[in-house]
Amino acid sequence: MGGKVPALIEAQVEMGSVNELEHKSLFRQEEDATQNKAASLMEQGSLSRNFPEHTNKAPKNSVVQSIKIVILSNKLNLLLPFGPLAILLHYTIDSKGWVFLLSLVGITPLAERLGYATEQLAFYTGPTVGGLLNATFGNVTELIISIFALKNGMIRVVQLTLLGSILSNMLLVLGCAFFCGGLVFYQKDQVFDKGIAVVNSGLLLMAVMGILFPAVLHYTHSEVHAGSSELALSRFSSIIMLIAYAAYLFYQLKSQSNSYSPLDEETNQNEETSAEEEDPEISKWESIIWLSILTAWVSLLSGYLVDAIEGASVSWNIPIAFISVILLPLVGNAAEHAGAIMFAMKDKLDLSLGVAIGSSIQISMFAVPFCVVIGWMMGEQMDLNFQLFETAMLFITVIVVAFFLQEGTSNYFKGLMLILCYLIVAASFFVHEDPHQG
Amino acid sequence: MGCCKVPALIQAQVEMGLVNEAEHKSLFRRETDSPQTKAASLMEQGGSLPGSFRERTAKSPKNSVLQSFKIVILSNKLNLLLPFGPLAILLHYLTDNKGWIFLLSLVGITPLAERLGYATEQLACYTGSTVGGLLNATFGNVTELIISIFALKSGMIRVVQLTLLGSILSNMLLVLGCAFFCGGLVFSHKEQVFDKGNAVVNSGLLLMAVMGLLFPAVLHYTHSEVHAGSSELALSRFSSCIMLVAYAAYLFFQLKSQPSSYIPLTEETNQNEETSEDDEEAEISKWEAIIWLSILTAWVSLLSGYLVDAIEGASVSWKIPISFISVILLPIVGNAAEHAGAIMFAMKDKLDLSLGVAIGSSIQISMFAVPFCVVIGWMMGEQMDLNFQLFETATLFITVIVVAFFLQEGTSNYFKGLMLILCYLIVAASFFVHEDPHQG
Repeated sequence: MGGKVPALIEAQVEMGSVNELEHKSLFRQEEDATQNKAASLMEQGSLSRNFPEHTNKAPKNSVVQSIKIVILSNKLNLLLPFGPLAILLHYTIDSKGWVFLLSLVGITPLAERLGYATEQLAFYTGPTVGGLLNATFGNVTELIISIFALKNGMIRVVQLTLLGSILSNMLLVLGCAFFCGGLVFYQKDQVFDKGIAVVNSGLLLMAVMGILFPAVLHYTHSEVHAGSSELALSRFSSIIMLIAYAAYLFYQLKSQSNSYSPLDEETNQNEETSAEEEDPEISKWESIIWLSILTAWVSLLSGYLVDAIEGASVSWNIPIAFISVILLPLVGNAAEHAGAIMFAMKDKLDLSLGVAIGSSIQISMFAVPFCVVIGWMMGEQMDLNFQLFETAMLFITVIVVAFFLQEGTSNYFKGLMLILCYLIVAASFFVHEDPHQG
Repeated sequence: MGCCKVPALIQAQVEMGLVNEAEHKSLFRRETDSPQTKAASLMEQGGSLPGSFRERTAKSPKNSVLQSFKIVILSNKLNLLLPFGPLAILLHYLTDNKGWIFLLSLVGITPLAERLGYATEQLACYTGSTVGGLLNATFGNVTELIISIFALKSGMIRVVQLTLLGSILSNMLLVLGCAFFCGGLVFSHKEQVFDKGNAVVNSGLLLMAVMGLLFPAVLHYTHSEVHAGSSELALSRFSSCIMLVAYAAYLFFQLKSQPSSYIPLTEETNQNEETSEDDEEAEISKWEAIIWLSILTAWVSLLSGYLVDAIEGASVSWKIPISFISVILLPIVGNAAEHAGAIMFAMKDKLDLSLGVAIGSSIQISMFAVPFCVVIGWMMGEQMDLNFQLFETATLFITVIVVAFFLQEGTSNYFKGLMLILCYLIVAASFFVHEDPHQG
């Protein structure tokens, strides 16, 4: 992802050595070889004026070049063909298990590319809107899957998927980051900004509060109007939570100049400290177009994915709860997972925390209430009553994580604890099914 | 508890021929003072006693059986309670009054528990700090473990759960509260401090234990298991294995980071070695320590058998719920020695040691003893699970949160101690009026 890439693509095209679909891995190797050639050519200054230097000019790529940059520059994209394959299978065979698995695998690279496109667009919009973009689109995959499930009336799947994403971010992603970082730096304790961690913990607790009250209201049978009270409460709480989230973003972005590091610190830090270049690779309109294409593609696959969930649950003999809470988020968060671990191993724990906990807050304070509101508009009865088991699980998890974060240090042991907690959570969902259901 | 002058004194005693072991226990205590000065003056005169008169060295003492017996049995006033043990066994065969048997075996176990701790400590002198720490970590609560395994064998799963729960609550609230309170009274002009980092890690571990206990209980009570009855058992067993792995990692982490800011479980031994004015050596040889450990363990097991057998009868004859007996009475006894130790450390302004004893013990029970019992039950074929029923789980949860909050600041005073003690009184009162639903 370096600034030399456009130049290399130019060089590649001029050397005519790449067939876009077949030589993806080859492209990676040739990059290195041509990198040296291009560098020496640069020093000799003898290339045509299309050779961009370290400027902020938006690169003007042709369609082919654009596709190469976005699609071909990442090994993860080898998984892309699984998407169409899944759609094919959907119409040819009845085995929902395979359809589910393949669409899951097919969505993974798309989720990662979506993040990439968002990042690229953020270059053009400045840090403020860029931060907002990251904050909204960061978990757009989960959001799209949820909205599709909502359309099908699979309210429980929506709740479980979002819950699973929160749990996965808080325990698994954060735990792996702490663990790997702690192993690399085992002689000392890594530190992170305690102030931000505490604010984030407080927000997560507020989200738990929003989710807890409708559930408790329901289970103590103490609603004024049975059935509709908790729905009304959920909708009101959702609006409050959305306001809180907006205020949180506003507060983060305003205090960017202060000691607090904002959500989009990833972009800023990369620009400050990365030895690689800082320029976008694709132009602004390309980013927007790619964003739309990828979003449409994810939506398409999500449709088939959601459709196959129940069939997969039956054919694999696994509770739907487990699939929604554990398997789906594993995939949806794959890219964030890798990113957080990478940051931790570079001793940039604040970035890891931003990815993991920031994502949890996004889901709990934005995606969940947003789905309730969307459901309200669709006429679906989506509420914040996540059922007692899930709510209790979320509650204890948030408390455990808040305690682990409050000290401001991390080591491999804390990471291991978080991972083990996630295993207990996963095991609980493996033997859990909703009462009075199949 | 570890004075290098004592072996010398015993030597001196034996040579002066003044002690009859069974009858003059209290006499022995007083006489230790006077020969102490005599021996000291003898030392000053230039060592005119035979070569077995030891000075401050690390040689393990070679005691005869008699001397060993004296050191281990006679050197502690608590051991006056020892005869209650055999008395309880006697009563078991003579009378039907389970209440008395229960009470007497309870009293009889108390000194044994304390001596077990002593023997473990002595053995730790020989094994080095690492294995010593491990020893303390495993054997520290062996009394509760033995009582629990006996109850498990008798199929009294609920008693096991309640006893272990009571031990956790007692350590977290009563022992810690008393330590804070007494320490705060002694040092009423300032606030005592302890290592906040350590306390936070320990709180996190306790919360993880609560998590492990909470999920099976919630799974059961929301009737949301896939296979009713066996799901939570399977989950409990899996969680227990995870918790044991976590506890092993915790020990590993503690021992590895010993030179850094974290103070390990073995600090009691280390600190005693560093700062105590008493000596640092073992009083009994390594093999004596091992033999005594085995003897005491066997003795505790014997008494536990009668104790567990008498619980239900005692509950009926005293009209007290089994919950109260298991949760409040049993742990008070099992923890008596730790209790005294923690208070003592607090009064010497060594709060980290008090915390190590109290919270470390809680972690031992919650992350080691509880999952260990589940695994043992698994092997025995008993259906022991982590579902402690909703009332107990809720009590544990709120207690852990309260204690975690009290600990997070890193300071203590008598008020905090008083709060913890009062919380414990509320918990005890709750269990006094609690019985399992649909049961007698």
